[in-house]
Amino acid sequence: MFRIITALLMMTSVAVADYNLIVPQKPSGGTSVWSQIVVQEWEKHLGEKINLVYKPGARDQLGPNEFQNKLRFDDKTILVSHGGNGISYLVEPVDYNYLDWESIGQMNLNIIVGARKNANTLNGPIKFSAGSGMTPEIMAITMLLGGPGADYDRVFAEKIVWVKGMSGSERRLAFRRGDLNGTRENPAAYKKHVQPLTKDGTAFTWFHHGLLNVKTGQHDKDPNFKEPTFEALFESTHGVAPSGDFYDAYKLVKSWRDALQKAFWVNRGNPNKAKLVAALDRMIADPVSVAAIQKKVGQYEWRTGAEGDAAVRTLKSFITPGALKTLTDFGKNQLGYNAVYKEQLLK
Amino acid sequence: MELVILMAGIVYGLIIGLIPAAGATTGLITLFGFMPYFASDPYLGVIFCVAVVASSTTGDSFSGVLLGIPGANSAAATMVDGFPMAKNGEASRALSAAITSSTLNGLLFGSLTFLFLPYYTKIVMYMGIPELWSLVVLAFVTVGFVSTRRYVRSITAIAAGVFIGLIGVDVNNVPRFTGGWRYIEDGVQILPFVAGLFAIPELWDGWVKRKQTITHKNLKGSTQGIWQGIMDTGRCWRDSLRGGFIGSFIGLLPGLGGAMADWLAYGATVAANPNEKFGTGNVRGVVGAEGANNAQKASSFIPTVLFGIPGAPFAAILMALFLYLGIDLGSPDTFLDTRLFNSMTYAFLVGTVITAILCYGLAYFAGWVTRVPYVYYFPFILGFIVWATVQYSHSWSDILMLTVCSALGLFCKQFQFSRPALLIGFLLSDRIYSLTYQMATLHTPADLVTRPIFIGTMMCVVVLAYWGITKRSRIDYV
Repeated sequence: MFRIITALLMMTSVAVADYNLIVPQKPSGGTSVWSQIVVQEWEKHLGEKINLVYKPGARDQLGPNEFQNKLRFDDKTILVSHGGNGISYLVEPVDYNYLDWESIGQMNLNIIVGARKNANTLNGPIKFSAGSGMTPEIMAITMLLGGPGADYDRVFAEKIVWVKGMSGSERRLAFRRGDLNGTRENPAAYKKHVQPLTKDGTAFTWFHHGLLNVKTGQHDKDPNFKEPTFEALFESTHGVAPSGDFYDAYKLVKSWRDALQKAFWVNRGNPNKAKLVAALDRMIADPVSVAAIQKKVGQYEWRTGAEGDAAVRTLKSFITPGALKTLTDFGKNQLGYNAVYKEQLLK
Repeated sequence: MELVILMAGIVYGLIIGLIPAAGATTGLITLFGFMPYFASDPYLGVIFCVAVVASSTTGDSFSGVLLGIPGANSAAATMVDGFPMAKNGEASRALSAAITSSTLNGLLFGSLTFLFLPYYTKIVMYMGIPELWSLVVLAFVTVGFVSTRRYVRSITAIAAGVFIGLIGVDVNNVPRFTGGWRYIEDGVQILPFVAGLFAIPELWDGWVKRKQTITHKNLKGSTQGIWQGIMDTGRCWRDSLRGGFIGSFIGLLPGLGGAMADWLAYGATVAANPNEKFGTGNVRGVVGAEGANNAQKASSFIPTVLFGIPGAPFAAILMALFLYLGIDLGSPDTFLDTRLFNSMTYAFLVGTVITAILCYGLAYFAGWVTRVPYVYYFPFILGFIVWATVQYSHSWSDILMLTVCSALGLFCKQFQFSRPALLIGFLLSDRIYSLTYQMATLHTPADLVTRPIFIGTMMCVVVLAYWGITKRSRIDYV
């Protein structure tokens, strides 16, 4: 009972929290849960309270849009964004612009692709759950099935069954049942949902994207996975490294999603930035905090402060006319999205 | 300590269950702020959360029966006969029947769930996309043809519910039916919809007749009503058990939810008793629908614990809360965690029993509530509904949405369009839409005819539709 009373007292303290963290989802969303867990540790090292303010709506764009238009001008307001916001930024008419913000911390993430044992990974068909968040995977699979210089629109149409309307839960169950023969997950979810199938021989790890190295702009190997990255698999299968506009478009969308999978932001010139970054650095250096976070959300690489801003500059360098046009066209014509070509991103 | 936490969870869940239009999902969402205080012993957090589910599920019958406002989506089916019973001066009897049926099935199917958890894997795996699609169609037919006499209006209401449920974005992430209002790109939120459809019209009705009460009958002691409700459940044991089976089966299947279970159970009760009249206060209707209630919640744990795939909306929130506690449901580690299973079993089964005892106590006073004029409690209910609604985005858009949904509810009540049918259309719209897409992409007609469960369910659909059109239902609830 004491715990409950304490909890009630603590809940009232939210009203006097020092910072507001804008979360663009409902309290039960993936990024919301991640934020709740990380903030719990971050506060310990900051010595101040962080109140989570949920701003769901417009497919998680309402929060970043409000932050861009109004909330960022408050020095005590922080935003957390996720990989889906990164993809929307590239191909949708959103208000927000990462270049107007400064990075506090980012979590770099790898995504792993698995396939059923009986899937024909050389010729298809690959049955894969649709969704804008799946764009990098389906572009990689299309390149693997088509080989270098192929007409990728035709490869997609002929060799991929793009199953629309599946939630994450449905996708996982459909893959277990064999309705889908390809799937993808982040490392923590992969361990939970796909590795049991790889262990019993029903499925195998096809490839993963690797981790973006912001200094070189290349995708490094992930020490947690011995399987090849997409680039390595493509080269071993087709004898040459992937290249061209389609590959650049893949690299663009993959990087904006995974390198910014979870990211904290403040407005440019925010006077509290140094304090927030220092607290985050202390959190990352604290084995107790790291263990508490990793136990719940998995082991991921962090970038903080200037390193995060450098990552955004690297990501910006991937936005080339060819890559952006290809991504927009493929999204619109093949994947069926309402993608728009945002020429202003090239400036 | 376990018992203290269990009691705290029960009391909190019961309060949430009693609040109109709230329910287990809403109750669990508000728990995120409490989770850090279970860090030293996460299993106490497990007990608390599961106790909230168990008690809110039983408690949500109260506002449906007493006020005609469902405590949760699933309680709408109970309301169809429960509210007329309250109007007839039988509130305690209706509540007692609901509590008994819900509790007994919760205990039976809860025990089966937790005892044989690992053995359910194959059942879940047999139920593919076509089978789920056919079950959703069955739910539509049950509500559309079986549970109302005015089936044309009912089908219209279902269609309207489906339309509203599809507001948001389509499978291509393109805004659909939003009229440019970005706020609803994530869809119409369930709380303002349910509150607007059921609570506000009843509150309005109560305000218009603010000096009146639900019943004017002179009740002679509620103990008699409670005993009668218990005896009713015994007398209608087949309806109760059938409801439990249906609820348990639906709970196994991810994403279908409690409302569908309760409506199928209610429809099955109506179909199994062709010589009785429903919708005007038949206790069988209450017993049948409530049989599915706790049983569905219990079996929803199966896909959630085994695969980490939530069996119902509340289970998705529960998974997130458990993750906060460091317990990753569906991961291989959880299978070896005997304390987790013990905590869940203890909280659900013991929680269900204690909740039942408390609910019988509350049901004793139920008759009094029906004799209290609306004017004394409607400001509190309205205040809570507005508060809960604005928790979504803390903006005027939330209020506007509640207003629009309230107008719709008042319209439906005035012109006798089935509000339960509208609700079920709304709740299942996304399921039927996405399942249709998936089925059309992955299956051919030749493939479908080889699936016995799909064929069997579709035959039930045809028979029910024929029966509904030719025989007409005996239910008149709108």
